[in-house]
Amino acid sequence: MNRNPYLQKQPANWWVKNPYYRFYMLREGTAIPLFLYSLLLLYGVYALTQGESVFNQWVAFLRSPGMIIFQLITFLAAVFHAYTWFELVPKILVLRIGNHRVPDFLIKVSHWGACIFCTVIILVSAIYFL
Amino acid sequence: MKNYQRSNEPVAWSLFGAGGMVLALVTPALVIVTALILPFLPNADPGHSYRVILSFAQNWFGKLILLAVISLHFYHTAHRLYHGLHDLHIHGPDKVMKSFFYGGATLLSLLTAYWLFTL
Repeated sequence: MNRNPYLQKQPANWWVKNPYYRFYMLREGTAIPLFLYSLLLLYGVYALTQGESVFNQWVAFLRSPGMIIFQLITFLAAVFHAYTWFELVPKILVLRIGNHRVPDFLIKVSHWGACIFCTVIILVSAIYFL
Repeated sequence: MKNYQRSNEPVAWSLFGAGGMVLALVTPALVIVTALILPFLPNADPGHSYRVILSFAQNWFGKLILLAVISLHFYHTAHRLYHGLHDLHIHGPDKVMKSFFYGGATLLSLLTAYWLFTL
């Protein structure tokens, strides 16, 4: 005889009360500003195809108070994403040298190093060339 | 014999993973460039930054970098938004939801590629 298993109904606000779940939802929520920021970049590519005056309109749009606030939020989201991502990497990337597993902190530190390296390269070349 | 359908999750996850790495390594600096350096850097010649960015995007290597960065942003965030709606108990037919998010990311990436390659 088949029995139907008891499935407990999960309320939609399951994540609100537990700090660990709230942290998880905040991490997943970084996708919202980061997606909108990708659209802002796409608008920039479009502006580039339309010539200098449209491109300057895009730059003026970047300078508007609303976009400054939005980009501040995006920056915080990107840094928070980077932190959570580098916490995640050693759980996925298991490296072994001989019989020894490369310790988690070494993987994290090397990713932070790569992040700082990329940041410095991008900022220095932007200031130098733009 | 039952025919098993191969999952497309590994493809979605690879794009999500690559996007997550790009977002973590490059995006904080990119936001500083578009929020501060590009709009507020004093420049004697106002057309200078336009020409620099245009010549970067006209170069095939620059094009590929821009396309990779922008399209991986789309795939990463689409994956998280798709699973985020599930977490919030907002459901739709699975095929419709998947086509909307991953198809949307693909369309936006194709649009990026089209504009970049017309430059």
